[in-house]
Order: sequence, then C-alpha cells, then structure tokens
Amino acid sequence: MARDKEFNNILDDCIDRLLIRGETLQQCLDSYPEHSTELEPLLRMALAANEAVSVQPDPDFKARARYELNVLLQQEKSKRRTPFLSWRPRWAVATAALLVVVLLTGGSTALAADQIMPGNPLYPVKLATEQVGLTFTISDVGKAELYATLADRRVAELDYVISKGKPHWVEPTTERLNKHLSMMAGLHLGRGPEITPQNGQAAREQTGRDDQAIFVPGNGRARLRGLLGRFSVNHPTKLQSILERAPESAKPALQRAIEMSNASYGQILKDLD
Amino acid sequence: MQDEQSLVQSAREGNKEAFAQIYETYFDKIYRYVILRVGNKAEAEDMTQQVFVRAFESINSFRWKGVPFSAWLYRIAHNLVVDHIRREKKRPTVSLDESLVVGNSEPHAEVERKLDIERMVSATRQLTEAQREVISLRFAAGLPIAQVAKTMGKSEGAVKALQHSAIAALRKILLVGEDRGKG
Repeated sequence: MARDKEFNNILDDCIDRLLIRGETLQQCLDSYPEHSTELEPLLRMALAANEAVSVQPDPDFKARARYELNVLLQQEKSKRRTPFLSWRPRWAVATAALLVVVLLTGGSTALAADQIMPGNPLYPVKLATEQVGLTFTISDVGKAELYATLADRRVAELDYVISKGKPHWVEPTTERLNKHLSMMAGLHLGRGPEITPQNGQAAREQTGRDDQAIFVPGNGRARLRGLLGRFSVNHPTKLQSILERAPESAKPALQRAIEMSNASYGQILKDLD
Repeated sequence: MQDEQSLVQSAREGNKEAFAQIYETYFDKIYRYVILRVGNKAEAEDMTQQVFVRAFESINSFRWKGVPFSAWLYRIAHNLVVDHIRREKKRPTVSLDESLVVGNSEPHAEVERKLDIERMVSATRQLTEAQREVISLRFAAGLPIAQVAKTMGKSEGAVKALQHSAIAALRKILLVGEDRGKG
C-alpha cells in the first residue's frame, strides 16, 4: 500500500517534469533508478497520450467564436443584461434569424433550399431552416422522414462540391450527413408509442402543422418504409460514384459516410419491420 | 497580467477585457478536454462555446472557496459532456471524426498524428469514467494534479492512483489493439 503510494507520487512527479518542466525521459528515469523498469513504459505512454491530445481548435472556428464573444460582451456592456439571443450555439442564432426571414418571405426561402449549396452565403440559412423543421416535427416517424430527406440533400451537396472541385466542403458535409443518419437510426421506431389520430390532433394544435407523418401512423410508416428503402440503395450508390470522382484527400470521409449510410438504413429498416 | 482571482473579480464586475482574457487562457484547453471526451470536432466546437456562454451567464454565482476558477470552468464542461454522452447513448455509434486531423504537418506525419488521436479517443472510451476524467484533465487540459483533484472533488492521493491505473490501462488497451492489427 505504502509502496503503491510512493510509486504513484514518483510517477506523478515524472509526468510533471516531462510535460510541464520539459525534462527528458532519461532524466526522470535516472532520478529513480530503482523504479525505472516499471516507470519507463508508463512514462512513454504518458508522453504519447500528451502528444496525441495536443489538438488545436480550427483557426476559423476560434476566430468566429472570439467574434461572437465580443458581440456578447458588447451587448452586455450596453444593456447590462444578457440579451435573449446573445452568443448561443450557432444553430440557435441561425434558427432565430431564419424565423424572421421565413416570416418576412412567407417561406419562399425554404422552397429554394435545394438550389442553395455549400459556399453560398444563404447556406447557413438553409441549415437553420432544417433545424426549424426538426424542432417542430413531433413524431418519431416524422423526424425519421425529415432526417432521411436531409441526408438526401447532403448527398446531393456532396455530388455538387465534388463536381465543382470544392473538396474542402466534403468533410463538413459528410459530418452533417453522418449526424442525420445517426439521429435517424437512433429513433427506436419499433418500440415507441403509436401516434393515434387523437394525440396526433393534439400535436397538430400544438405545432400548427398539418403533417401526414404526424397524424396517420399506418400511412406514415408505410411511406417512410418506401422512402428509406429507396434511399438505402440510392445513397450508398451515389456516394460510391462521388467517391470514385473525389480526390484522395476527400475519400476517407466519403468512405465513412458510405459505411454509416449502410449501417443506419439497415438498422432503421429493421426497426420498422 | 492580472492574477486569476482579480481577473475573475473584474469579470464579475462587468469588465469585458477580463472575461476575454479568461476566455483566451482557457479556450484551447477546454476544447481539448471536450474533444477527447466526445471525439467529434463539430460537437466539441459547439460545446466549447456553450461552456463559455454558461460561464459568462453564471460567473456571478462563482465563489472562491478554496477551489480554483479553472475547476469551476471544467465542471461546466464536464456537465455538458455528461449530458451529451447520455443523449448519444441512444444513438448508434458514429465512427471517429475524420476532422480530428489538424495542423499543417506533412501528409505522412499527419496520418500518424490522426491515428494517434483516433486511437486515444477510442482507447479512453474503454476506461472507467473516473480514469477518463483524469486523463482528459491531466493531458488534454494540462492541469496539475492538485487542480485535477479539486475539479474532481477527490484527494490528490486518489487522483494519483487513478492516473497510474488509467495510464496502465491505456497502455494495455493500445498494446492489445496493436497486436490485433498485426495478427
């Protein structure tokens, strides 16, 4: 017990010396020759762990985050209270902004979503529109349909960015695609309570939406199964075709998206059966 | 440069430069802590921002009671991570984030680096929650053992023991992974 405690202290001392004071492994081992055999592999592991986690935030993200902090601080200074929409996560600010846009345009922005591709100044608005849709979709069947539709958009965007020679957009787009697929597959459609016309009516009153997927579970599930069955074939096929045209740097992300696509559609179709 | 206590006091009094300085001091460390816990760049970015939003909103509730400010900040990050993990448990596993690759190193070195980060995230997921927290705070956040202990609400002795067991477990996990890779 006392020996363990002593060794834990020695290990910690060496880690401090290596990581904080910049000493070498050999210097530490020389300080504790009687423990060097046991210490060395642990210290090598500590050094490797330290090196592995030395990631830096993306400079663009850091600059944006700093700007948003400044906005928050300026608003706080002028109002002396935290404003409702200050420096929230990106999607929250974008969602609020979009609500204003949709109210002003009568929803025409959402209609143009398929034409707005990554790199377009309106692309963040398109993403925010999608977030609004998810927020106001109550049933799991409705959410699954929406996630599948969003996945379809991401696949179309990947096709676009590769055909336009913009491979730097592949990574964030596949990241979003994988997230939609993961959320969709995690919905547990086989175990959730059935939506009845009665509680569907309650949902309609709450959301103001007239959405078939919310109110008619039988029809909604059949339609969803049809949609997912189609996408389960189309998406991996399209992604494979995109992968074949993509530069090497973009291939791992696309390969991952294909795997995710196969796994997620497989799981949700199994849940639906 | 102000010491941490007067910096926090200034920030509480509405000094925006003081809060900005706190933010600059901790931003990268909080990000590293979060990304090691969640393994996804986009989630880590959003959560890092949320840590500072929460810190800004509730800095007036922070009291100096022998616990450093950083411990309070990491507590916020820890709570966000725990909430995130709870939500994620319902979902299927997403493979580790390709975008963990960073920096402007040579292509070959970048691949090596990426593998290391991926393996670290993957390996730490096999540790106990307490071991994972020690590794994240000690290596990703770069905190000295005394601060790790205060952040976790444990004695220094207990944290040193956890550190030892976590490093030994990591080594074992990674060696087994390597053997499988060779076999």
